[in-house]
Amino acid sequence: MKAPHFLFTCLFAAMLMTLALSVRADVILPTVESQYVTVKEINPKRDAGYVVGDKLERTIIVTVKKPYELIKESLPIIGYEHRYRGQVSGIELAGIDVEEEKFSDRSVHTIHLVYQVFKSGRVAKPAILRGEIVKLRLNGKTEMRQLRFPSFNFRTSPLSVYGEVNLKNEMSPLIPPFKLSAAREQTTFKVAAGILILCALGLLYILGAISILPRMGGAFAKAYRKVARLPDTDEGLQQSISAVHHAMQQVAGHSVFANTLETFLQEKPAYQPAKPEIERFFSLSRQVFFDANTALELDIPAKQWLKKFCRHMRDCERGLTPEVK
Amino acid sequence: MRDQQLADWRAQALKLESEVNNVVVGQENPVRLITIAVFARGHVLLEGDVGVGKTTLLRAFTRGIGGGYQRIEGTIDLMPNDLVYHTYLGEDGKPHVSPGPLLMSGQDLSIFFFNEINRARPQVHSLMLRVMAERTLTAFNKEHYFPHMLVFADRNQVEREETFDIPSAARDRFMMEIPIVVPPAHDIMESLIFDTRFHDVDQLISQVQADVLKFDELNSFAKVIQESVTASPALRKYALDLWLATKDPVAYGVKVSNVDMKRLVLSGSSPRGMGMLMRAARVNAWLNEREAVVPEDIHAVFHETIAHRLVFSPVYEMRRTEIAREMLTGITNAIAAP
Repeated sequence: MKAPHFLFTCLFAAMLMTLALSVRADVILPTVESQYVTVKEINPKRDAGYVVGDKLERTIIVTVKKPYELIKESLPIIGYEHRYRGQVSGIELAGIDVEEEKFSDRSVHTIHLVYQVFKSGRVAKPAILRGEIVKLRLNGKTEMRQLRFPSFNFRTSPLSVYGEVNLKNEMSPLIPPFKLSAAREQTTFKVAAGILILCALGLLYILGAISILPRMGGAFAKAYRKVARLPDTDEGLQQSISAVHHAMQQVAGHSVFANTLETFLQEKPAYQPAKPEIERFFSLSRQVFFDANTALELDIPAKQWLKKFCRHMRDCERGLTPEVK
Repeated sequence: MRDQQLADWRAQALKLESEVNNVVVGQENPVRLITIAVFARGHVLLEGDVGVGKTTLLRAFTRGIGGGYQRIEGTIDLMPNDLVYHTYLGEDGKPHVSPGPLLMSGQDLSIFFFNEINRARPQVHSLMLRVMAERTLTAFNKEHYFPHMLVFADRNQVEREETFDIPSAARDRFMMEIPIVVPPAHDIMESLIFDTRFHDVDQLISQVQADVLKFDELNSFAKVIQESVTASPALRKYALDLWLATKDPVAYGVKVSNVDMKRLVLSGSSPRGMGMLMRAARVNAWLNEREAVVPEDIHAVFHETIAHRLVFSPVYEMRRTEIAREMLTGITNAIAAP
């Protein structure tokens, strides 16, 4: 009877020792004082959309000041997986790489951690890279402290496999509707927009509304638009003539009169084809502003003729040759 | 009636021009300007090099205009009384006093020709100042009137020894200062050398038809011209802008090469100068068969009526002719009408 009792006693003692050791292992150590450690973390840029099999890499840079030193054995090992309430988290440590730099007053540990996702679901779920707990030892003593790395929150996404997902069952107000391909329509739209812009530029060129292209928006183009806008009255006619005078002055760089017309044409030979009309314009100006008795024959009303004259001058301005009768 | 009068006189004016152009070749523009001055009743100062025909031109006009003609040569020892009287010993051995050039023709004095005016002393200039402005002279306790008198004077700007600058107040009395240059056309230059009719000036002048104009009717007809030719509001504004620009060319963006424009002009054109400008412009319009002044009429006389009136800083006076011409061209280029 002695032998079974002895065996039972030994078994009981072994159980007690195992229990004691496990208790010793899970014991919560006091946290190291913050002035002795600094932690810097470099987390993944993306915090959502991880599917099963994806890897997350994060780097923790721990600076431990003396008299503390990091116990390397306390670092997590590959294959380690956190648990929460007894359930595995599905995030497994897939790789760890530690670099250490020692200085006279501190040591810097750069810990590269690679986690792999081994969980999936039908909807996106929150997940967490729990902060690893490492231990530090007071140099030359048995006293220890612990340090918890900051955690990193992210979200995992479902991975659908063909045949496993029934769209009707999976319909959710949170899922946006599937889009039809609009590539062809977009191409058509771009081509049409290009044509429209070209047409608009052509129209602007004709109207001379802007001066972004060569020979556009010149003095006579502006005068033409102004003359077209002015009313068909005596005052409007005077303003129109003034506008044309102003345009001619702008082109010449100085005032132009009937007696300096030849000089103007020598300086700006592009306007030579319109010389007969320019002479008539000066006669019109003279008649309106200075001498009502000035002889002048216009086939059409003065304002209308002035508009036509402006158009011809605009043609000259653009290097074209107007049809001057 | 007035239209007919204007047309008749215009024909006579053009006839006078033609006569003068026949004997003084290549000077069409100065001839036109002097014609304008005659009908605007303004005194004329000719400026140019020696021997370019200034005197010949003025003598030709004098013959065509008619009336009393007197002439005096500007010299350094000329005194004011030399213009009024001169004394001599008569055959009877007694001193006698005779009227000088100004008084010789009495009220019929039509042209007083002052040759080389800048050789005369300032005292003479001073006397001429009054005679030109008021056309009167007090002498021998009597007021003498010269209602029809025009002063034609000439000077050469090249020779400066023993000369006296005409003060700005005296210059302002002249309606125009007309530059006379040798005609650039080679055929004209050649004929001036080889055509013998140009060698005897007296003979040449005698070819001008005498008394083309009725000198004693010029004053009244000049008034007719000034009343007949109108100036529109747009032209008045243009003339005003021109005037303001002569006073402050910087404000109108006028520039002259190598000149500090802020220091250049001490005084722009005078009101009298602008008045003379418009008188001359009206005559030009009339000569061109118009009843209203246009900007081109002003341009035709602008330089000649305004340039000599401008008063520049002394540092620029030596270059006055060149600077005045460039500045006035800049003004006409800068100001638009309408």
